[in-house]
Amino acid sequence: MGAAGEFLGFLNLTWQATVMLVISGVLIWLGIAKKVEPVLLVPIGFGCLLSNIPLGGAAEEGGFLAVLREAGIHTEIFPLLIFIGIGAMIDFEPFLQRPYTILLGAAAQFGIFGTFFLAYLLGDGWLHLLDFSLQDAASIGIIGSADGPTSIYVATTLQSKYAAAIVVAAYSYMAMVPIIQPPIIKAMCSKEERALKMPSAAGKISQRTKILFPIITVLVVGLLAPKATPLIGCLMFGNLLRECGVVERLSLAAQNELANIVTILLGITVGGMMSGTEFLRPETILVFILGIIAFSLDTVAGVLLGKLMCVLSGKKVNPMIGACGISAFPMSSRVVQKLGLEANPYNHLLMQAAGANTAGQVASVVAGGVMLMLVPMFV
Amino acid sequence: MLNALWIVLLGMAIIFAVLGILLAVMILIGKLAGPRGKEEKENK
Repeated sequence: MGAAGEFLGFLNLTWQATVMLVISGVLIWLGIAKKVEPVLLVPIGFGCLLSNIPLGGAAEEGGFLAVLREAGIHTEIFPLLIFIGIGAMIDFEPFLQRPYTILLGAAAQFGIFGTFFLAYLLGDGWLHLLDFSLQDAASIGIIGSADGPTSIYVATTLQSKYAAAIVVAAYSYMAMVPIIQPPIIKAMCSKEERALKMPSAAGKISQRTKILFPIITVLVVGLLAPKATPLIGCLMFGNLLRECGVVERLSLAAQNELANIVTILLGITVGGMMSGTEFLRPETILVFILGIIAFSLDTVAGVLLGKLMCVLSGKKVNPMIGACGISAFPMSSRVVQKLGLEANPYNHLLMQAAGANTAGQVASVVAGGVMLMLVPMFV
Repeated sequence: MLNALWIVLLGMAIIFAVLGILLAVMILIGKLAGPRGKEEKENK
């Protein structure tokens, strides 16, 4: 190559970088042409593109993507700031009208723990087929939280080697909930069950309750599972800004400016973590396969508890809403609404499903905190 | 492997316990701080 090889990027193009450049193109195409989670996939795809340009140095030490990774991901600041925005965007009223749905959220976290067990079994736990330590397995399991910021927070706190793949898998599968969940729900619920209508006239929630909810949630979760405090604290702080009614300017800033700026920075930084040499290895493919298993187990566990609630309530609960216990909000609610309408054109389940879905948001954060609490105890 | 099994069992137990307590507290708060008087009439 000679001297030209020192400054011409294409002369240094490896097969790994070439594959990653193609992947970045696919991500950008999915975002723009297919409108699949464009807010996430366009910045992630572009970050991936930048980090795989040979000699570009964007993701190497001192490069701007490396600086962003150090400042925002390794310090866990980006996922926490995103949670303030998410908290300010979520209306917890459907959940507060049906607080029992929090149990569906709890059940749907089984995907995290089931997948963790499976990953550890394949890795250091028993079979030693892959380089999965206890921390790696826990970080892979957390894909099942169906929550990008929680996945980033847990994977970086546990210093997993697969943080980049885990984050990309978590965000990609959130976008793929409308593809992953329906076949599982249909396999588990008969048409009669899917057509089951739920009482819609839930009582109105007072402003006092809406204001007390974030404060009490932080106190209960923080005192019982303290490792979840930063995540639940930021989520509930955002929600308090929304509900207290006296800081509308801050609430709007959290929902718009803060959420948008951090999404741009987080997306491009996550993309910047997808360098070919780190990303293209057999374990990454396994991380993606385990991610699908995590989402599927979440759905199965949620629907199973939904079925139990259906029986115990005298068919007042449609078992499908159990699938919304995962935190992929609002995709999961829309899936259940669509399946309900397919089975019975008068069966509108959106609000009931949104209750379980927002409950799942709280539950997934608690699950992340519980994982952070338990793993160091057993290492 | 036993460690992993403990994490699964304890993890799910803690999640149900924490969220169960949150559920109980929220039901209580809903009763104590629910709509009353004028607010309830407006809702009707």
